Amino acid sequence: MKLIYTLFAALLVSTAIAQPSKKITPKATPLDRSIVPQPGPAPKIQIGKATSFTLQNGMKVIVVENHKLPNVTYSLSLNLTPIAEGNKAGYISIAGDLLSAGTTTKSKGQIDEAIDFIGGSLSTSASSVSGSCLSKHSETLLALMQDVLLHPSFPIEELEKTRKQMISGLTSEKTDPNAVSDKIGNVVRYGARHPYGEFMTESTLSNITREDLMGYYQTYFSPLVATLVVVGDVTPEQAKTSANKYFGEWTGNVVPARTYPAPAELKANQVAFVAMPGAVQSVIDVTYAVSLNITSSDYLAATVLNNILGGSGFQTRLMQNLREDKAYTYGAYSSMSPDDVIGNFSAGASVRNDVSDSAIVQLLFEMDRLCTEAVSAETLKSAKSIMSGAFARRLENAGTVAQFAYNISKYNLPADYYETYLERLNAITAEDVQAAAKKYLKANNCYISVVGNKDILEKLKPFSKNGEVMQFNTDGSVSKGIIPPAAGVTAATVVEAYYAANGGKDKFKKVKSLKQEGKLKVGGASINIETLTLDNQMLRVEMTMGPMKVSTQIFDGTKLFAQSMGKDQPTEEKDILKAKMEADFFLRDHMADFGYSLNLAGSIMRNEKEVYMLETLDAKKKVVKTEYFDKASGQLISTLSVEEGPEGSVTSETNIKEFMTVDGMTFPKTMQLNAGGQLLDITMEKITINGKVSKKAFKVD
Amino acid sequence: MKKVILFVALLSTFAAQAQNIKFIEYDLPNGLHVILHEDHSTPIVAVTVLYHVGSKNEQVGRTGMAHFFEHLLFEGSDNIGRGEYAKYVENAGGGLNANTTQDRTFYYDLMPSNQLELGLWLESERMLHAKVENKGIETQREVVKEEKRMRYDNQPYGNLLPEALKHAYKKHPYAWSPIGSMEDLNAAKDEDFVNFYKTFYVPNNAVLSIAGDMNVEETKKLIAKYFSDIPKGTNAIPRPTVKEEINTGEVRDTIYGKDELAMIVQAYHIPAQGTPEFYAVDMLNTLLSNGESSRLNKSMVDEQQLSLYCGAFTFNLEDPGLTLAFGLTNMGVDPKTLEDGMNKEFDKVKEELISEKEFEKLRNQVESTFVSGNSTVAGIAESLANYHTYYGNANLINTDIERYMKVTREDMMAAARKYYTPENRVVLYFLNDPKLSAN
Repeated sequence: MKLIYTLFAALLVSTAIAQPSKKITPKATPLDRSIVPQPGPAPKIQIGKATSFTLQNGMKVIVVENHKLPNVTYSLSLNLTPIAEGNKAGYISIAGDLLSAGTTTKSKGQIDEAIDFIGGSLSTSASSVSGSCLSKHSETLLALMQDVLLHPSFPIEELEKTRKQMISGLTSEKTDPNAVSDKIGNVVRYGARHPYGEFMTESTLSNITREDLMGYYQTYFSPLVATLVVVGDVTPEQAKTSANKYFGEWTGNVVPARTYPAPAELKANQVAFVAMPGAVQSVIDVTYAVSLNITSSDYLAATVLNNILGGSGFQTRLMQNLREDKAYTYGAYSSMSPDDVIGNFSAGASVRNDVSDSAIVQLLFEMDRLCTEAVSAETLKSAKSIMSGAFARRLENAGTVAQFAYNISKYNLPADYYETYLERLNAITAEDVQAAAKKYLKANNCYISVVGNKDILEKLKPFSKNGEVMQFNTDGSVSKGIIPPAAGVTAATVVEAYYAANGGKDKFKKVKSLKQEGKLKVGGASINIETLTLDNQMLRVEMTMGPMKVSTQIFDGTKLFAQSMGKDQPTEEKDILKAKMEADFFLRDHMADFGYSLNLAGSIMRNEKEVYMLETLDAKKKVVKTEYFDKASGQLISTLSVEEGPEGSVTSETNIKEFMTVDGMTFPKTMQLNAGGQLLDITMEKITINGKVSKKAFKVD
Repeated sequence: MKKVILFVALLSTFAAQAQNIKFIEYDLPNGLHVILHEDHSTPIVAVTVLYHVGSKNEQVGRTGMAHFFEHLLFEGSDNIGRGEYAKYVENAGGGLNANTTQDRTFYYDLMPSNQLELGLWLESERMLHAKVENKGIETQREVVKEEKRMRYDNQPYGNLLPEALKHAYKKHPYAWSPIGSMEDLNAAKDEDFVNFYKTFYVPNNAVLSIAGDMNVEETKKLIAKYFSDIPKGTNAIPRPTVKEEINTGEVRDTIYGKDELAMIVQAYHIPAQGTPEFYAVDMLNTLLSNGESSRLNKSMVDEQQLSLYCGAFTFNLEDPGLTLAFGLTNMGVDPKTLEDGMNKEFDKVKEELISEKEFEKLRNQVESTFVSGNSTVAGIAESLANYHTYYGNANLINTDIERYMKVTREDMMAAARKYYTPENRVVLYFLNDPKLSAN
């Protein structure tokens, strides 16, 4: 019981209530019902006490004693930075789920039986183990929590079961417009490579192995990043004894932390659309990433701002405008979510199809209005009242006090951070709110995500710059639409990033000869392939099957010789040009020399990655080749080329699946080539740099 | 003999563990029932009013009225301007909302304790002379349509509960859901709304339940001040007397939609809440569905992997309600295989007495749920009002557990044999229609 505040009083006397309170009248006199009752003296807001200590193994413990009910909750959580899962998206959450699906001594069935027997609950996630029960069963619960935390066995059959359930779950999720909206919101805000933007698919789930789960557990489950929060019918002394008894022996390593670049800010509004079959409403979400966390100096002002716009309750601008005035929706809300890595803003509503565009206009209008007009004193006071009331109500839950103590410890906040909350809230001015609006409300730089009926698409186009709409499928994959490149990103920067990803341009400049040997598999046949380049000018490609030469191509810098199945092949001018280009590693730096130019079309989703689309245009500005560079790594991952053949144009696609590194330089290791429907798998086995190569090898007679 | 001793021992454990919620209750001369529970641990007070009106009080052709009123009664009163109701509460640092079921409508204002009087004034205004006017009716009609689209039409399996109720009830007004029909709401005239208000929103059809940081004696005076001059209702309050017959033969139907995974819903008619048989059925559902080790989850989800989610729940209503069993198929599973699997679990509780050990687990689960149930003043106020309205005994908030503890394993088997029969159920298959899934 640390604190007593009377600020409540100052905040809660509403301007709308001006008349004095009337004393209780004798029964004979009829009550004057027009008199609004006045509040009594402000109640004391008391924040309960939390006890904190650290075990010898580094685990922090926070205890909040509360004997109102005879139950207790133990929540152990890990403070981790998010991890990008790539083509195994989903493995971290499965690792968390499976913690309680078997230990070295207990099956999932035995764990379930044991926890249900005491009428308790136990749940695990990738960063937590939590349980609650009547306090008389605490020892049983703690022993179970200890077992799943220290001795999980990740049974393979449980992985298979969970994998199947999650794949089924993906099917089920596709018809839930809110789930689809959440997924698309994450994809557009953060990009599909960011840990917050990536999502699991049937393919990523299929890639997950038991070793991935164990690796995650061994790397990240450590007392050094753990906090145990104990709330309920327990004394700090009892909690300390229990924490030592059950978790004191736990050991672990220093956990790696990561940082992620902030997503680029949009230069203009961009509509993202998902067609939901048979939808009778549009789920609209105006959203973008914001750099905001609990320790930001204007965090409280941003929270007040959000409360005025659409935080909670019936009086917010969005609720008054979209529900009470226009009856577009059952509810319109906004959120300003702080986060340690990158936060987000979101404002939206579910509205009937034919007012989808009108609702977007109003959402953007209300965001913009808060930037251009200072809020009135009455509005500000009302928002503060709502927030201080909600603060007081939260204290009914003893877990809130624990949450406060946890935040103070995690973010290194002043010890009286929450005790001064009402005081700091009261000090926020209309200018603070407007400054926060200008910084955090971006009515002209936002994604407008709409999950709705296909019939409304046309009406959404005007909200996007150039009328372009990014279109996604209900499973989150891109169906159509290219995101224009952010400012500063050009074809040249993408190419530079590509060199850097491969080890750097300087290294490649020192490459005189490059020999790559491997195998090409087509149908059932396996063909040896060897390519050799010299001085970025000469090229030799040989394919053999046992003693038989399948094909040979030799280019000496000017002349080209080609042979296939023992027969010489005619070569034309365009074949020579092609060979010249193939021999040149730095081709993309001087496309003009060959009569081509590069164009960065923008970014798109491909192979579940966010990639840049770099187009090669011929003299007539026709796209002859498109290369896809992974936005996150810079690496070239896929190529699409169109070639005019005797029977019309043939499109071939190459997807690079694995890379290998030699002398600090990265090369494709495995690739799949799809040439007009025929699949060829290429695996490079040996790469030799600057080995002894005689110019004779490139002799063309 | 041994059993009796065990029983007594268990009872004393509950006495030691359970929270004893103290309260007082009385009636005003106009028939308003008042329940007060004092608790000073947090400086907040829940001011709640339960009106004993839900969708079962509606007439065919005017469904959705009770829920519509839940919206309308935030529009204002003779002394509260349109849209100002929420403003008063929120500017005072309070929170408010309401909800409607088949049986009752519940309004609550969660106020800082120094704003108790404001909460009473607001609720008394709502009861005495709420604004039932055209402007509010027109606005809320559209808002409710959006609510229906959001909660039912645009949700996966959103038609599940309405369809289950429609198939299970042939006579009783539980056949329709509280959201009602939009055609009915469109057809309702302004005077229909006024009549509905005058009939049901009267003190003799309401419970004022207050819990939290207040002084009982002072609160009683304030209640007298604001509520005693509200006249008693003069219209007869219509309540359905029709009884739905049970065991009339299995009803089967298939409903096509755009959701891709097949879902099975079974609805069994169950006894009225409060009867000994009801507690046995509720314990059966706990056995089947509470926790990872519960029978349906263990067999259907965990072991046989036929289902992503499987459980049976008591949908208890004032008049006899339903047990609703759900089975969402895992991918590639024929719904019939899942249905057969679920039926095996229902058959098992009819054929085999559950073990002593499993029974003990069940009682522990019931105890834990009951004891942990009343953790907020808003929840306590609502429970007290519910127990008074449906059972005429608010003290069940403390003693209902005893009724559960009286249930024996034999009672559970007998209840299963009587109610979990094919003749007593509806079986619905929710299947995918590829035409609806196509863009």
